Amino acid sequence: MDAIAVSPAIAKNPAAPPLVEVRGLTLTVPSAAGPVNILKGIDLDIPSGAAIGLVGPSGSGKTSLLMVLAGLERATDGSVTLAGQPITALGEDALARLRRDQVGIVFQAFHLIPTMTALENVAIPLELAGRPDALARAEASLVAVGLGHRLTHLPGQLSGGEQQRVALARAFAPAPRLLLADEPTGNLDQATGTAVMDLLFKMRAELGTTLLLITHDVTLAARCDAVVHIGDGKIQDVLF
Amino acid sequence: MDRVFLLLFLQKKKFSLPFLLARRELRGGLAGLRIVLACLALGVAAIAAVGSLRAGVAEGLAHDGARILGGDIAISGGNQPLPAALGDWLRARGARTSEVVSLRSMLVAPGGDRVLVEVKAVDGAWPLVGQAEVAPAQGMAAALAGRGLLVEPVLRDRLGLKIGDVLKLGRASVVMHGTLSAEPDRVASPALFGLRAMVSLSLLPQTGLIQPGTIAQYQLRAVLPAGPGAATVAREIRAKFGEQGWRIRLPGDAAQGLAQFIDRTSLFMTLVGLTSLLVGGIGVANGVRAWLEARVRTIATLRCLGASGGLVFAVALIQVMALAGLGVLLGLVAGALLPIAAFALLRDVLPVPPVVGVFPGPLALAALYGLLTAAAFALWPLARAMRIPGAALFRDALQPSRVWPPQGGMWWLIAGNALLVLALIGLTVLTAPERRFAIWFCAAAVATLLLFRAGGWLVMAAARRLRPRRVWLRLGLANLYRPGTATPLLLVSLGIGLSTLAAVALIQGNVRRQVSQQLPERAPSFFFIDIQDSQMAKFRAILAADPAATDLREVPSLRARVVSVNGVPAQQVKAAPDTTWALRGDRGLTYAGPMPDGTQMVAGQWWPPDYDGKPLLSFDAVLAAGWGLKLGDPIRLNVLGRDIDFTVANLRRIDWGTLGLNFTMIASPGLLAHAPHSHIATVRAPEADQARLLRAVTDALPNVSGIRVADVLRAIAGLLEQISTALAATGSLTLAAGALVLAGAVAAGQRRRIREAVILKTLGATRGQIRAAWLVEFGILGLVAGGIAALVGLAASWAVVVLVMHAEWVPLPATLAAVVLGCVVLMLGFGYAGTEAALRAKAAPLLRNE
Repeated sequence: MDAIAVSPAIAKNPAAPPLVEVRGLTLTVPSAAGPVNILKGIDLDIPSGAAIGLVGPSGSGKTSLLMVLAGLERATDGSVTLAGQPITALGEDALARLRRDQVGIVFQAFHLIPTMTALENVAIPLELAGRPDALARAEASLVAVGLGHRLTHLPGQLSGGEQQRVALARAFAPAPRLLLADEPTGNLDQATGTAVMDLLFKMRAELGTTLLLITHDVTLAARCDAVVHIGDGKIQDVLF
Repeated sequence: MDRVFLLLFLQKKKFSLPFLLARRELRGGLAGLRIVLACLALGVAAIAAVGSLRAGVAEGLAHDGARILGGDIAISGGNQPLPAALGDWLRARGARTSEVVSLRSMLVAPGGDRVLVEVKAVDGAWPLVGQAEVAPAQGMAAALAGRGLLVEPVLRDRLGLKIGDVLKLGRASVVMHGTLSAEPDRVASPALFGLRAMVSLSLLPQTGLIQPGTIAQYQLRAVLPAGPGAATVAREIRAKFGEQGWRIRLPGDAAQGLAQFIDRTSLFMTLVGLTSLLVGGIGVANGVRAWLEARVRTIATLRCLGASGGLVFAVALIQVMALAGLGVLLGLVAGALLPIAAFALLRDVLPVPPVVGVFPGPLALAALYGLLTAAAFALWPLARAMRIPGAALFRDALQPSRVWPPQGGMWWLIAGNALLVLALIGLTVLTAPERRFAIWFCAAAVATLLLFRAGGWLVMAAARRLRPRRVWLRLGLANLYRPGTATPLLLVSLGIGLSTLAAVALIQGNVRRQVSQQLPERAPSFFFIDIQDSQMAKFRAILAADPAATDLREVPSLRARVVSVNGVPAQQVKAAPDTTWALRGDRGLTYAGPMPDGTQMVAGQWWPPDYDGKPLLSFDAVLAAGWGLKLGDPIRLNVLGRDIDFTVANLRRIDWGTLGLNFTMIASPGLLAHAPHSHIATVRAPEADQARLLRAVTDALPNVSGIRVADVLRAIAGLLEQISTALAATGSLTLAAGALVLAGAVAAGQRRRIREAVILKTLGATRGQIRAAWLVEFGILGLVAGGIAALVGLAASWAVVVLVMHAEWVPLPATLAAVVLGCVVLMLGFGYAGTEAALRAKAAPLLRNE
């Protein structure tokens, strides 16, 4: 069966190979009640520069798919290629380097390091990449998300919306090619969530970052170029 | 039904609410507080075990007082024979008596080998109390009949003796009749100055060992009939026979020196136990802090439901103290059982058979220490529970580590904590046999804690200023100062244990260096004792004929007993604990005209070389300070049964480390020169020539004994090894407590560490970078903790070696390096364990939406 591909029409350069290629992806995890098949053969191409919404009921496999794409979960079978590089065979450290150079991730629960200031949190991926201007870029990134006055604050001293903006700054600071966002507004009120998403889409547009956004919010999904419906570990359909 | 009524009753009482809530929460288990339990149990067990061990040995001493004394009363005439009238008087009152004379001599084997022995000459009534063990089995009368000799088994083995061998003791030939494996009136002690040889008292004159001035001990023991007690009899003896310089002892003071030694040893071990408890206290503080952090949601829920800060504090306090009580109880059980096992293992090492049992006194003291420590260290972190707001439920924020307790209760809290710390210090000082030492210990403990705390601040401040280029280095340094960092805790938990071990190792190393290197270089090879005036010419001629013998020094030797100091009887003098030994028993006394070479005068003037006036005394400055004796003060000594009043003319500093002819008391010439006395001499000779020299002197002068300094030093070295092992073992307890706290601290921070590792990996950090960052963190911590521990060890060992032992001190860099290295390795080990566990954690489960 052909891969369910997001239409080349939405790609900036239809001739270019997709940024993400997923083929026959399965994920089975052991449990006390026996093995659980979470992903049951996913085929998906995501063109470079596209914004894809990933929707589906709880437990359908959205986050698991995102984890596999990020190299944080190892696929049971199938292949994933990111920017032309197959990642399923890569070792843990190679995957870490790949994330450092190519992937930004935003979580619902922010996942900032609680003992680091906002500036340090944003600087970390840049420092890991050995960027000598890490702090300056991190500061610029925080200024860009409107947190120039909160540089030395710890996550515990920031509101939920502010924490998520720090997470956005951290994700965008290294200018990744792919941004994976897992319900980034799930922990925020509507107004704050909307503001954060405006920011996310604005930054993505500025940087030309490919986006895979998991959300339950239909209006949010509608802002994407395409929406992939996932259910029972399989892609059900793709809406443009 | 009753239970329901009881609960209803309790619920009506306001004070019962914290107990009810605490009880409900405790049903959830002890997770998080196990470290509190273990820390307290370990410290309390150490103190309870040492206390029980001491009590067992002390009771053994008290129980066996009459046996160790050799009777209900023992009268010692020192170097002077006791009058026959004394024995007659006692026997006339229905007492059974026994006479014992002890002295040192050379025992010459059939092959010519000779060793220094401690001769005990006994009459037919010995032993009055208990039984001697003789092999082959025979009665004492038969064993010592004729020219019978008994030796202790190790002496038999050393000389390769057999039953029936004929040996020389002084001028007499003696026949080995068997071995003496146990004497009821002997406490086990290391044989520094000769092994035991026993002969009959009637044989002693034939040996020719008793000469004028011979160093000997004369004793008369008596078992009294029912009637007036020993104390009454002692008073009657003094009234009847006057103050003749005799020392009269009752079973209660059978082994005063030994009791003091046990007191001192147990004091040291108790203080080490307290150090473990102190480290445990830090573990308690940390355990409580971590436990509260994990309970933030529960506390926040209670606050939302209307619980006051005071109620939250009370609930937490009850739980922690209940747990502390359990920890103390576990410690007490271990502390009570350990000595019972130890008694079985140490039977041969302990001086007397201890009384085996449970001793409530030491156990109660250990429990009090444990509970006070728990309260003192838990109070501050517990008070912070009052500041956890209900809003904590809604904001999953990191609880800052520096939440101050509520301002209103701040002063109460400080006062309460100060009271608890003072109670701990008071208890330590008041229960210590040597309070000054205990006060110094407390001061040193507080100073050490502050030093490690200051070290923590310095490390954090320095790490904050540094901004290295490499990310792993920067991350490692940042881990040292970030909010919630365990830097000060990690430093102090491992550091205090290592400080104790460093101090013990440095003291041990210094003493070992003195005994095995310095003393042999400076000390003479031989001490020859009991040389008669008439034998001096011959003695000098023998040495002059042997080119190996050099550096001969000789002085007159007498024995004297202190009768009174400044008019106060010796037994009532309030002396510093480390100087009381010189008030008991006979001490060496010499006289000199000109000031001896190398004398270090501290105060006063030396008398003219030809002085022949009122008796003057040159005295040891350290003893004088301990006794409150000043220049011009009177001191009465009993010399050869006669009381002589001396005036202190000058004070000297004595370097005992030379092992030369050092006397605490040197009298002016004149009166003593005319008293019968012997001489004592020191000689140096190469190792290879020593046996020949000893043989030459003792063959020609059979009553003269030669003490080989090398043998004594070897025996001392062996003894020191045993003591060192015991001290190191006790010191290791502190390290174990530290390791426990360290493990607790690492475990408490593990959740945060795992989360951080996952986020870092998500952001692109490799395992190598994360590992390197944590190695930097723990390496620096180990280096700093080791460095401070080395400093503390240096200071403590200097104080003990220089101020207490009055010996030369060197820093021993290799030992220090081992401490620092050991600390780094230990810290890295703990860090590595934590890091690897964190690196193994799977990212996905943690990152999924909560």
